[in-house]
Amino acid sequence: MELAPIESYASVVAWGAGLREQWGGGDPFAEDPEKLDSLARFCRYTAQDPDALLASCFLRRRATGERFASVKRREALLRQLDAWQADAGWRGLEARRRRNHVASFLSHNGVLL
Amino acid sequence: MEFVEVLGNRRSIRFFDPERPVEPEKVQKILEAMRIASCAMNAHWLRCVVVRREELDPDTFEKLKLPVAGVIMELAPIHIYCYGDLSVIPRDHGASPKQLIDVGALAPSHGWTHRFVDEFVWPQLLEPLSKSPDYPVAMAFDDGGCATQGLLMAFDLGLGACWTAFDTAAAKQAFGIPDDWVPHYLMNVGYPLESREAGGQRPRPAFESLYFDGHASRPFRRDPAVVKELERAKMLQAPAPLPGRKDELRQLARKLGLRE
Repeated sequence: MELAPIESYASVVAWGAGLREQWGGGDPFAEDPEKLDSLARFCRYTAQDPDALLASCFLRRRATGERFASVKRREALLRQLDAWQADAGWRGLEARRRRNHVASFLSHNGVLL
Repeated sequence: MEFVEVLGNRRSIRFFDPERPVEPEKVQKILEAMRIASCAMNAHWLRCVVVRREELDPDTFEKLKLPVAGVIMELAPIHIYCYGDLSVIPRDHGASPKQLIDVGALAPSHGWTHRFVDEFVWPQLLEPLSKSPDYPVAMAFDDGGCATQGLLMAFDLGLGACWTAFDTAAAKQAFGIPDDWVPHYLMNVGYPLESREAGGQRPRPAFESLYFDGHASRPFRRDPAVVKELERAKMLQAPAPLPGRKDELRQLARKLGLRE
């Protein structure tokens, strides 16, 4: 799957803003390029861009149109993360770090896995 | 450590050393502290199941975790699952207050006799209470007090602890929890990776907004001299956020491979 430059997606911009707000400092992605690398890899793995990946965590109530975080969608995402980690062959701290890059992206966009 | 300093040092610790086990004797001391806590009618509703995280099979552990509690549970080597046993009072039939009379804790000077328990306390107080919707609330209040003694013991022993919720259905199945046990919370215990200050004492509502003097509209006056005394005794400590806390959090996240 072809992605636009990953830092151009609105959800990634929000992630960067959240990281700066939390930790201060300059460009969090320049400081730790592995964050974007992990997200891009996972996006390609799931064939979704970051905005679509984030949107997939939410559903809308039929009656009111209100958006809510879907437990089932998030569980599905967790299974995808498990499969992604296993396929990549990461172990230990690196596996946790890579997984948590994606989790950080979601957290700073309001989704807790 | 002095008692007031233990009170002051307590924080909800969320970063534990996942590789450092907690000595069994320290776990026992936590439970011993719970057991001697104040308890209405000496009923002792609190039940605890101690679980060593490393002994949990991965599938069971995944089911026990709730999203917000997940990281804490993964890091804490010891989980103490706390319950209240609703069957205590119906089974007791007034035996506990009678025992308190026999050992000299309750006395006729305050109206306590075996006959009083048989004629009034059991039939008119305890039995109706055990059938009332207020019963689990009363039990939970007592259990919270007992569990807090254990929590403070953990800090006195150099450990850290943090309460979290857990998946009660999964725990019931995994640990053989009886139907009469009402789930409370899970005490996560381990050696802290955070500094002792853990960023400073957490923000609290103003003293006068919480405590009242004789009437709910009249705030209890907070004497600055008492505050100074408790500061000297290290019960009241520097408030959060302490300088460098964000750096500490970030270093912990990186060390443990957690999200930032």
